[in-house]
Amino acid sequence: MSATIIPETSGGISTASAMRRNFWRGVWRVMRRKPSRLAGAVILAGFVFMAVFGPMFYPDNLPGDANAITRPPSWEHWFGTDPQGRDVLALVITGSRYVLLSAAVTALITVVFGTGLGLFSGFKRGRWDTVLMRVTDMKLTIPGLPLLLVLATVWKFGNPLQMGLVLGLLGWGGVARAVRAQTLSLRERGFIEAARGLGLSTGHIIGKELLPSMAPYIAMNMLIAVTGAVYAQVGLFFLGVLPYESNNWGVMLNLAVFQAGAMITPYAIGYLLAPLLAILLLTLGIVLVVDAMDEIFNPRLREE
Amino acid sequence: MTVIARRLAGHLARGLVMILVVATISFFIVNNIPGDPMAARYEKLIEGGMSPEAAAQAVKVLYGFQPTGTLWQQYTDYMGGLLHLDLGVSVSRPGTPVLDVLGEAAKWTVLPVLVGTLLSFLVGVMLGVFAAIKRKSKLGDALAISGSLLHGIPQYVLAMLLVVIFATLIPILPADGPVDILFEPGFNAGYIGSLVEHAVLPVVTYALSAYGGWVLAMKSSVVTVLGDDFILAAELRGMKRSIVFRYIARNAILPLFTILALSLGLLLGGAVFIEKIFNYPGLGLMLINGVNDRDYALMSGAFLLITSAVIVANIVADLFYSTIDPRVRSGEEAA
Amino acid sequence: MAQPETAPPRPAPEPVTAPATPAPGVRIDGLTVVYKTPAGELPAVRDISLTLEPGTITGIVGESGSGKSTLALSLLNAVQPPGRISAGSVEIDGLGDVVGLAGERLRKARGAHIGYVFQAAQNSLNPLKTVGKQLLDLGRSHGVDDLRGLVREAKLLLGRMGLDGARVLDSHQHELSGGMRQRVGIMLALVLNAHLVVLDEPTTALDMITQANILKIVREVHAERGLTTLVITHDIGVVAEVADRLAVMYGGRLVEQGPTREVLRAPRHPYTRGLIQAIPRLVGDIDEARALPGRPPTLATVPKQGCVFRERCALRMDICETDDPAALADGPRIVACHAVGVKERA
Repeated sequence: MSATIIPETSGGISTASAMRRNFWRGVWRVMRRKPSRLAGAVILAGFVFMAVFGPMFYPDNLPGDANAITRPPSWEHWFGTDPQGRDVLALVITGSRYVLLSAAVTALITVVFGTGLGLFSGFKRGRWDTVLMRVTDMKLTIPGLPLLLVLATVWKFGNPLQMGLVLGLLGWGGVARAVRAQTLSLRERGFIEAARGLGLSTGHIIGKELLPSMAPYIAMNMLIAVTGAVYAQVGLFFLGVLPYESNNWGVMLNLAVFQAGAMITPYAIGYLLAPLLAILLLTLGIVLVVDAMDEIFNPRLREE
Repeated sequence: MTVIARRLAGHLARGLVMILVVATISFFIVNNIPGDPMAARYEKLIEGGMSPEAAAQAVKVLYGFQPTGTLWQQYTDYMGGLLHLDLGVSVSRPGTPVLDVLGEAAKWTVLPVLVGTLLSFLVGVMLGVFAAIKRKSKLGDALAISGSLLHGIPQYVLAMLLVVIFATLIPILPADGPVDILFEPGFNAGYIGSLVEHAVLPVVTYALSAYGGWVLAMKSSVVTVLGDDFILAAELRGMKRSIVFRYIARNAILPLFTILALSLGLLLGGAVFIEKIFNYPGLGLMLINGVNDRDYALMSGAFLLITSAVIVANIVADLFYSTIDPRVRSGEEAA
Repeated sequence: MAQPETAPPRPAPEPVTAPATPAPGVRIDGLTVVYKTPAGELPAVRDISLTLEPGTITGIVGESGSGKSTLALSLLNAVQPPGRISAGSVEIDGLGDVVGLAGERLRKARGAHIGYVFQAAQNSLNPLKTVGKQLLDLGRSHGVDDLRGLVREAKLLLGRMGLDGARVLDSHQHELSGGMRQRVGIMLALVLNAHLVVLDEPTTALDMITQANILKIVREVHAERGLTTLVITHDIGVVAEVADRLAVMYGGRLVEQGPTREVLRAPRHPYTRGLIQAIPRLVGDIDEARALPGRPPTLATVPKQGCVFRERCALRMDICETDDPAALADGPRIVACHAVGVKERA
């Protein structure tokens, strides 16, 4: 048996704002207990910052130093140079814009599609629900990467917006599932009926009652979808099936491995490691944030 | 028994529908490739002196459908071919039926994936139990975090890191193909030894990328079961520790089997990267080569096979689960 | 999906064997159980002294959070962390002080000496195994050599309770209804011939008819096998129907004890009075039933000093703020209340 501490509520004050305050205080407490969670948010913020402002510090075509091609890390070039003598760190920073832009588009589509379809499915149930769920199931069964590869033969979706679109269309399943599950459970608990009984319109029910309670799950699933999307887009460029677009990290990986032979010689280590580390850090940041959100919104875990 | 047979039938039906869907997607993609290679080939053959019918036949043999004719005709041609297990002929390996090429390649994909999954499952489950029991200690925490981190790392990143560390920086393991070509294929020690040696890194990559998921899933499952009433009930009835432990273990592992299929599916899908990095001639590499060499019959064949493997894995896992969980079993009966 | 329940319980056959062990008496003395919380160790049960006479059925009544379930678990020394027994003793005839028992001796005592019956709502069975297999596990855990005899005894018990023994033993938990599960729980508590049985909320989550059946079974089995029984419940009706002696718990303390009929007819503690007052009668004005104002305390809000009930008490006095009322005995009745102490002889 765990001890449940019921907060003393002095009746009368606005409970909504009190609850919100308690909520943020709880968030802060969780963050403080495991500083790694806070680190996740910091990392993500850092990447966003880098993606938005970073490329502004560099000229459009990075200068290549012909005297310093494929050098390992040094004081001058923290991660070395590429076969054209360009600074690897600069490449990573300029490449981050593509990655994050496309990730943002994916996130948007996942949320919009996923929430929309999930709500629809949960509300209507019946035939539409089954159809939708079958479709999502099917989508989950078809392995994503091979499908993307095959798709790449007919449509070169190299542009970050196109990439984001394609990945988003493939990735809304998780959010849809979560939203549908939440809708059904709330329905089961009588929330929807009660609201209807009070005469509230469907729009109000969705906007004011359902969505706020589902927001954390939507956010978490969206972030998970984004990790998959980052992994997919970098991977696609790495495999070389799409024409090179900016300095996407996947392009760097491709060049590093297949042109600079980074896996065979130690010179191009920096060139290979830099984008790898970037991907790692980004996914790490997202995983930490999702973990933190999970702990915040899943009270059972919090009791431990 | 009929319950299981009915379930099996249901799964098979769904699986077939899936394969149909995938084949259709494949067909439409091949049909719409910019530059229309089939038409190009057709023209070339006719220029070379073939009659239109012969040329059409030749293209059909290659790709599964004729470059001329209505969409529906092409579709039925293609599907008919599939039913006869005719996946066309590879252009990159002239004259070799795609089915043969893929048949050769299949083992290089399926075996490492299976071994990798098994390894990650066994180790992950055991460590997951440990992480659950010791979850208040630093060790348990560290285990959970390590699992979480590994789970988040994309497969190819892991693969490349492993290669860099173990093949380049500290060259102890090879990363260039399935086996050293100096050895004669056969049941001799040299060949088998080389096979195993070359398989270490790819299998470890598969295992490491999946292991995190198992640790987290098992830990969560064990924690849930530990909080279940019947465990307390068993203790209050004076059951032996070993029996209670068995209750916990079996109940905790059960839900994990539903993820088994998912895990297999993920690894099979990700085989594309692993095989490219390690130069393993498996289905994934065939798919990539098909795309890069414009060998579209090979490409769609590989795509189809990979997806079919995932579907089969799903069916097997689902059936397996329904046989070991009595709740699922009788749920069907009584309903 | 549920198996149909069979006819009402068959009348008891002659007992197969006369009870070998006489019904044990239980003496709980000064028992205190605390729970570790971020705010320190808080008591869920404080300084409880209660005697269960051999062969009687005692009922403990309390609202949720009163500590009654913790008390029940204490009899098996099974308080779960973050709780622990911090003071007092629980003496059971034939076992000694349970609080001091540990390891194998404690494990063997549970089940063989003391039977514990869970709430019907709880899933107290392993969902993956049949009841019969779990019965065998139970037998093996307690070194029962004649497992077939055990199964026979189980079938007899189940039959006694109106169930088809063989079928139930072959079933999994999800194939049984709530009432059936409760009976299985009772069977498992008795099958090893325990003579002290604790039932935690035996009728909660059951429909009225099943409730009546279960209570009837409890009474009859208690008499046939010569048990000492403890029933924990929040429902006074249950106690009224089944118990010889009634004890009322509030905020971790025992506020009143006594023979059931007497306590119900003339409750002395204000809380007991309030509880009975709150029950609507079948006849008469429904408005006569008055619920107790306020809410029961939780672990964190239980006052550390003074009477735990004072916030809701109509007879509140100054002394109630500072002094914990002592439990004063008046014949078989024990009450812990300053107001009562003043009125009756000290």
